[in-house]
Amino acid sequence: MNVSIELYASLMKHLPPGKSRFRRDLKVDDGLILNRLIEQFHIKPEEAHLVLINGHYIDAEERDDRKLAAGDVVSIWPPVAGG
Amino acid sequence: MKQNQKDRYARHIRLSQIGEKGQQAILDASILVVGVGGLGSPAAMYLAAGGVGKLILNDFDIVETSNLQRQIIHHNHSVGENKVDSGQQTLEMLNPETKVEVIPYQLEGDELKQTIESVDMVLDCSDNYPTRFEVNRYCVETGTILVSGAAIRLEGQIMNYQPATNSACYQCLYSQAYESEESCEVEGVLGPVVGVIGTLQALQALLILAGLGEELVNRLLMFDAQGMHWQGVTLPKNPNCPVCSGH
Ligand SMILES: [Zn+2]
Repeated sequence: MNVSIELYASLMKHLPPGKSRFRRDLKVDDGLILNRLIEQFHIKPEEAHLVLINGHYIDAEERDDRKLAAGDVVSIWPPVAGG
Repeated sequence: MKQNQKDRYARHIRLSQIGEKGQQAILDASILVVGVGGLGSPAAMYLAAGGVGKLILNDFDIVETSNLQRQIIHHNHSVGENKVDSGQQTLEMLNPETKVEVIPYQLEGDELKQTIESVDMVLDCSDNYPTRFEVNRYCVETGTILVSGAAIRLEGQIMNYQPATNSACYQCLYSQAYESEESCEVEGVLGPVVGVIGTLQALQALLILAGLGEELVNRLLMFDAQGMHWQGVTLPKNPNCPVCSGH
């Protein structure tokens, strides 16, 4: 199935070469678990601070069970504490 | 409201959503600003210009030359001064009607809690997790509104905690496990990025004071400056949050 991943801000360094600065469209196994996708991009759990599927917040505890569906857009933002 | 105040804040009052009632709430408010750096600079300046009755500035830092690219409350001649003193001078020039108090050392423990309890709202403009966690905890314990901003490099975030609505708190978003040592000194930051987030903190503060905070409840915004990407998301209250779940 096809899904998309968006890595924002300092997470962009994890994206493989491609056209968009922040987004890649991917073919993945049906029912892929969210955390397995995050691992494929070598993003550490603490770096994947805010994870959204289609703009909805996914709690850290849900990410090991949450199955992706075709067309899902996964957006990931890093933690920020500076000021 | 006095005539000089009606004149000074006429453009606020002109807004049907604010009016004299909203402006009076702003005039009557007291706000603690934790951190007078990149976020605290524009935040405190807009709050003073907007007529907030009392601001308490807290920061233990001294103004350095490398701060001036983004910490616009400080001036070239402020280098070497306490940030709170430099900030106070700028705010008094902006609006002598706003009472400004300064705390030039690290507030913590009971003193931090008592200070938070004494104000209507806290703006967290600090730059580290331990301070953010402690400020959030005391805001929850004392039922004080918190507007929390953060920014570094080319990215930023802003959220708020409104106790009257049983909203999510900072620790619903960040578990205590975060202990990053990232700093603007090491990572760099483009000046207006902190300006944008600090300005939004002032905006949210004024909206909430004027009674317009309802749409901001559980609203978390993330900003990626390079692509001008904004993502807004509803942050649910964590039922297992170690800080706010009992409140
Ligand atoms: Zn919480």
